[in-house]
Amino acid sequence: MINFTIKFQYGSPIYEQVVYAVKKAVVTGQLKPGDIFPSVREMAKELRINPNTAQKVIAHLARERIIEIKPGIGSLVSELNTATKSQRDQILNNEVEKLVVESKRLSIKREDVIDAINRNWKLDK
Amino acid sequence: MNNAIEAKCLTKRFGKNPAVQNLDLTVPTGSIFAFLGPNGAGKTTTIKTLMNIIKPTQGSSTVLGVDSQKLGPKEFAQIGYVSENQEMPDWMTINQFLNYCKKMYSTWDDKFCNDLINQFSLPLKQKIKNLSRGMKMKAALVSSLAYRPKLLIFDEPFSGLDPLVRDEFITGMLDITEDRNWTIFISSHDIDEVERLADWVGIIDKGTLKVIEKTEDLQNRFRRIELTLADPINIKNNLPREWYLLEQQGHTVHFIDSQYEQAKSEDKIREMFANCENIIVSGMSLREIFVAFAKKFMISEL
Repeated sequence: MINFTIKFQYGSPIYEQVVYAVKKAVVTGQLKPGDIFPSVREMAKELRINPNTAQKVIAHLARERIIEIKPGIGSLVSELNTATKSQRDQILNNEVEKLVVESKRLSIKREDVIDAINRNWKLDK
Repeated sequence: MNNAIEAKCLTKRFGKNPAVQNLDLTVPTGSIFAFLGPNGAGKTTTIKTLMNIIKPTQGSSTVLGVDSQKLGPKEFAQIGYVSENQEMPDWMTINQFLNYCKKMYSTWDDKFCNDLINQFSLPLKQKIKNLSRGMKMKAALVSSLAYRPKLLIFDEPFSGLDPLVRDEFITGMLDITEDRNWTIFISSHDIDEVERLADWVGIIDKGTLKVIEKTEDLQNRFRRIELTLADPINIKNNLPREWYLLEQQGHTVHFIDSQYEQAKSEDKIREMFANCENIIVSGMSLREIFVAFAKKFMISEL
């Protein structure tokens, strides 16, 4: 059973799309810590993706410690991680800077950006 | 063995008519390779040549590391082959047929076979001649999966199947990927079915291979571009060669960028269209990419 939602779009790698869908499902509570995460074969069959892609998704999620691979049982969804200092820096400096640069370049108002952040933040009700 | 299938300059002529011409093909082990092309493009001839059913006029190929013309029982025991016009003993029941196949393969896996029979709800006691096309194809699939082949070759497996059966067929096919060293080679004129499954795509038309590329690379480099211009201007003649099918309607310009790179493409667009106000970039499905190729190179459309 696939316990997260994904709607595929053209133009970006399937692997990235699935990883992102899983992250979003974790953040919104659709996937909870301890939930059993689908196997490579289940994911390939249900999402109709290449098993190599599914394998890559699982390896990536395990590396980012979003899921934990338990030999003999399968994979389980992990507790939400606390950011390391470098991860915080990456998001609070680099990613936010990119957002500000793009917004300014396109003359989007600061209030509108902040509104949008607040609106998206509610994702994790 | 890195490649499950390799063909070099493979050519097959029937009389004077070339059905396949100078085909260079590489199918990496562990990949799902979609061999696409319109009807009559040379897909079946290629497969039959690879499988030593017909001899090539020129060139050579290897399958599982063995010269196609030397393929024998040992290799065929590791290859599953299902074709659109699968010949099956009509007078047998499915059960008799599967038992008959079982005797030919030392690697036949009864449990896997039964799982597939249940999954496909195959009516074991029915005679093959009384089966619907879908059931017949599913029986053929079971008979070529149950011995866990290393290489699956499907020639137009989906044609004439209803969507539900196609779905079951694909799911069954993916069952084999549990094993190590599997490779799947599917020929089809139906791109949508294999969109997210295939990691390699080959497009053949009139006997010639037009494209052979990783699906991901193909989808990364193709973008549909739509521009809004401040004033309609005359389009320059020296447009980049990688831009396909450019059309202008008043203030709007559409084209397909076949070498899209986020960092460079926008600059190139602004260079060609100084008065460009808005650029919309969108990704393309495999079908859309194929249609773009078809129009650009006058391939007969799928």
